[in-house]
Formats: sequence, structure tokens, C-alpha cells
Amino acid sequence: MRPPECRYNASVARLHTHQRRVLVTGRVVAFTLIGILSTSALPAQEPQLPSILVARQLAALEGIAIGDEVELASGEPGGSARRFRVIGSYEPTPDPMQLGVASRGVRMHLTDLLALTRDAGTPAGTEHVEGINVALRNPENAQEFANDVNARIVGVYALLTEQASGSGSTFVVLERFHMAIATVTIVAATVFLLALTVMLVEERRATVGVLRLIGFPAKRILVQVLIEGVLLASAGALFGLALALASENLINRFFQWRYDTALIFVHVTPTVAMTCVAIAVPLGAVATVAASWALLRSGGLRLARR
Amino acid sequence: MNALACAWRSLVRQPARTSLGIIGVAAVGALLFDMLLLSEGLVISTRTMLDSMDFDIRVTSTDQMPGRGPDIADGPAAAAQVSTLASVSSVITLRREDARIDLGDSRPAFGSVLGIGGGSGRPWTIIRGTDVTGDRQIVINEFAAQVIGAEPGAVVVVRANCQDGATAPPALDFRVTGIATFTFDVLGESGSGMTDTSLADACGTPGAIPADFLMVRSTGDAAGAAADIDALSFALLASTNDEAIGQMQQRGFTYFQQISTVLTTITVSFALLLITVLLTVSVNQRLGEVAALRALGFSQGRVVLDVLWESVLIVGIGGVLSLPLGLLMAVWLDGILKRMPRIPADLHFFVFQPEAIWIHGALLAVTALAAAIYPMLIVARLPIATTLRNEVVG
Repeated sequence: MRPPECRYNASVARLHTHQRRVLVTGRVVAFTLIGILSTSALPAQEPQLPSILVARQLAALEGIAIGDEVELASGEPGGSARRFRVIGSYEPTPDPMQLGVASRGVRMHLTDLLALTRDAGTPAGTEHVEGINVALRNPENAQEFANDVNARIVGVYALLTEQASGSGSTFVVLERFHMAIATVTIVAATVFLLALTVMLVEERRATVGVLRLIGFPAKRILVQVLIEGVLLASAGALFGLALALASENLINRFFQWRYDTALIFVHVTPTVAMTCVAIAVPLGAVATVAASWALLRSGGLRLARR
Repeated sequence: MNALACAWRSLVRQPARTSLGIIGVAAVGALLFDMLLLSEGLVISTRTMLDSMDFDIRVTSTDQMPGRGPDIADGPAAAAQVSTLASVSSVITLRREDARIDLGDSRPAFGSVLGIGGGSGRPWTIIRGTDVTGDRQIVINEFAAQVIGAEPGAVVVVRANCQDGATAPPALDFRVTGIATFTFDVLGESGSGMTDTSLADACGTPGAIPADFLMVRSTGDAAGAAADIDALSFALLASTNDEAIGQMQQRGFTYFQQISTVLTTITVSFALLLITVLLTVSVNQRLGEVAALRALGFSQGRVVLDVLWESVLIVGIGGVLSLPLGLLMAVWLDGILKRMPRIPADLHFFVFQPEAIWIHGALLAVTALAAAIYPMLIVARLPIATTLRNEVVG
């Protein structure tokens, strides 16, 4: 495998899209250029060079420092290259779709980007942009605003930010996949739990027999077993949550280091915690009762017999 | 009675816990088997698809994956340049855009359209009709044919939506020459193919014929041909199928390998814990029995072997059951993952490979041995007289 190279035919990320859209929320100027022509060692300083920000990963990859002059071009080398001054670096917005890909982005003012990418035959002011992010004063009017834009402007498609990803997106599918894996794990855990409780109950066979012989009704013992099951399951669920919370930071740090990203991989939200408890506790209680059921149906003498 | 038969009788005597142990191992083993299929599945599947296309090198303008980076500005010129190399047998250009295909008043078909130029070889296989031989001809996939109700000979209207196309691309008539399967067909999505010049017309930019990438067939030495192409122009970057797979492993698809590794570790630990607990509790409940056997003359090694056989039987039976269960689960999980957008129909996340069975078996064997260690130690260190006395007093 050859090492990645810095290509001289840098090009602009898609400016002309199939479906222009207005994203409600966010900010207006945030475009990305891919690739870079050269760094430092450029001729004499020019005053008032347009400024850019360079992605942290790109700066590290190409050894770009703040204050360096760089050349960017949207086509073949020697074409429409323009000089810029690096005034800072930025942490790219974490994007799960770019996992494992070192960001080679730079950020610049829209006017500079259009000047850089405009064809000779394209008059200034007629360029395409990929999208416009709009922050509304009253975010609750977002849908109304989008409808209004769609009705008034031909060729522009406005949609709410939360609608932009679509229900069939990659991450919805991954979520289903994780849910399926979790289901299988829960099934295996339930079997494990049943096996444990069956053995636990077996060990207390004689005790239950004695309790029955001295007059404890089966229902009373069942309630006791149920309470024990709930307590055990609650303790187990809490321990599991504590373990998840304790390992959350560790897992995130490992994968953030592994992929050089600021993405958060594991996040134990209150909803996730509640779901875990809501599954684990009833499951534990039911397993305990199910394991005890056959035992409680037997007579006291039979149980107490050695 | 040998140790195996004795262990079998011990298990049969406690059917509930034995069944639960076996079911637990089967469930965990199935998940383990699936994770082994997942770990390399995508890579194997992609390699199979790439190899099936009969091209061994892809040429792009940057080190981005094909279709992700900038276009090669002049596809035919680049293809002509590459085809002059002695190490190159054939070159085609490939451009992918979105398109809407209409036939009369029927429901339109939305999907991708490929514009191909250059030498022989196409990324599709004709199943009915004939291939495109000139301009204003199109081949469509079965899904598109069903949606719009077209068969070879029909004239359809194509509205392409191109990255660097005209703001208002024209609606052009194309004659359907054939129905084809495309290597990267996406389930439930229209696919079509035409010449690069036809696609340029459909994009409303007849003069411009960019290419997403070039597909090159070498004369035999793919790595040598790739090096020749790299040396040809700084604006072209060639990668062989092996390198493309390497890039894929390095970039976008490591997620599944990571999740596979994590879940493999968890499932093996889970199985280990399950069997250890089962055997330990079982042995603890039979301490008197074991001590009696020792007093009757059974050797220490023999009673230890009994415990080991119990572990092997539970894990062995559970492991065998886990294979068909795992295959069924793999089909189910693969179906879920294949709902991801733009996943080709022929691409699979879970791919069966014989090595997976061996690794699965080895991991379960190690689990059976490791799980039996603690209960075996209990049995081996059991003080016979004290245990018997305690049993009697108790």
C-alpha cells in the first residue's frame, strides 16, 4: 500500500448539488476544500492575503503552521491557484461517515471560495452553493418557514435539520443492528440467569421444604422469592450501569485516539439507563419466579426429604 | 464406566440446568460465530465483487475512494493516455450520476446512471436484449424495468442530475436496448448505463466528459501497471484491487471489525462465566458424592476428568447447535445491515468462510477447558475424610 500523497489537483467539495436545500439552524459560511498545493517556502509576503483555517489533521499531516502561506487550487496544477494565509486550525465537526479518514479540509470565506472555484465563463454572483443554513429567531416556526421557502422559490428545497438525515439513513440501520445484537445478548443472558436461579433454588430445596412444613403457604414463599429476585436484579442492573458509566470514558478515549476524531462513540444517556433497568429488573424477577415455580408446587415432605 | 459416560450421566441427571447451559452456550456461540463471519465478511464480499468485474486497477484523481474525491476532468483523454502503456490491456472510464427515467405516464424510476467510455468490458451483464452500441441508447436494471414497465425497444425519457452538469439539464429520449444486472446494483433502486457521451448530453454539458475513475485491466502484473500509471501523470493515482481493499479496511469499514472484536471478546467471556458457574455450583452440590467416589477408589485424575468431560459435553453440544443457529442469525443480521442506503445487492456483511468454523471451534474448546479449571481444582483438592464427615453430620 502506497502512503497517501498530497495531490496537486485539489478540488472543491461539491458546490453544485442535485437537490439544493435550506437547512434551518446552523450558520451560513462553512465550506470545505479538499487538498492543498504547497506549504510555506512560498515567495515574499503579500499584504492582505485572504485567510483560511486548516483542519487539525491536515495541519499535522502536511506540517502546516499558523501564519504559513499556502496555495489552493480547484483544478490542475498551475491553473487557478490562489494564495491564502493560515490564521488558525480547527477541529472538524465529527462526522461518523468519515470515520478513519483524516480530514483534509480548510475553511474560508464564501467569497474567497467562489472566487477560487468560479469558471472563467461564469459571471460573479451566479455561482451555485450547496446549501444555506438558516438560524431562525423563532425556531418553532421552522416548518412554516420551510413551507414558505418551498412555495416561493423555485429550485430550492427547504427542510428542517432533523429531516435532512432521512429515516433510512445509515445510522438508523446501525441502530437496528445494535438492537438486534442486544436482543440476542439479552436472550443469552436470560438463559444464563435461568440456569443460575435454577441452581440457586435447588440449593435451597430443603429450606423451602422446611418452610412449607412449618406452615408457610407457597404464595408467601413465592413472594419472598420474587422480592429476592427483584433485589438481585436491581443490584445487578445498577452494577451494570456503574460499569457502563465507568468504561464510557475509557472506550471513547480509545476510539477517539484510534480514529483521530472528536466523535463520541459511547454515551450512556438517561433513556439508555432507564431502558436497561426496565429490561433487567423484570427479567431477573421473572427468571427467579420461573425457576422456583416447579419447586413450590412440590409438597413440603418431598422437598425436605434427604 | 469411563469418565465420558459418567459425565454424561451426571448431566442427564440434572436436565434443567444442563439444558439451560447448552441453550446458553448455543446462543452465545451463535453470536460468536456471527462475529467471526462479520469480521472479514465485508472485505471478502467486496473483493469478490471487485474481482468479478474483470478489472484489476482503479485510477482516480486523488487518494480518495472512487466517487468520493474530485472527478478526472477529461475522462477520454486520461483513458487514452493510460491505454498507451504496455502493461495495460484495457481501460474504461466510469462516471456515475443520478437520473430519473420516465416511460409515458408510468411511475418514474429514480436511481443512478453510469456513463461508460473506452475499451471493452462493462460493469453490467446483459440478461435480456443487447448492450448499448451508440448514443441515445440505454440499458436498465430489472428494478427500473419493472417500475416503468419498459422492455428492450422501449423509448424512455432520461433526466440526469449531474454534479457538474447544467443547471437545467434536458429531458432526452433514449432507446432501451437491454435489461442488465449491474455489479453495484442497489436493492430497490433504479440502475442504468449508457455511453459517456450520452451521459454528457443528458447532463446538458455535451463537451465535457469527466470521469469519476478509470477501470484498468492489466496485462498480468497489476502492481507494475499501477506503478506505470502513477509515473505517467501526477493527476492520476492508480490502486490495485488489493490496495483498494486495504484502503477500505483502513478507512470506512473498520467499524465492523471493531464491533466484531469487541463482541467476540464479550461472548467468549460470557460463555466462560456461564460454564464456570454452572460447573462450580454443580460440583459444590455433589461434593459428598465426589468424596464417596474417591473413598471407593476413584483416582483424583478420574474425578477431575469427569468434571472436564462435563464442561466439554455442555460446550460441545451447545457449540454444534450454535452453528445452524448462527447461520440463521447471520442471514437476519445481514438483512438488517443491507438496508443501509446505497449498499449493493450483492454485498454481504456476513460471509461464510471455512476458517470461521475452525476458529469458532478453537475458541469454544479453550472456553471449555478454561471454564473447567476452577471446578476441577475444587474436586482435585477435596479432602475426602472431612467432606464425608461433614456430609454425614450435616
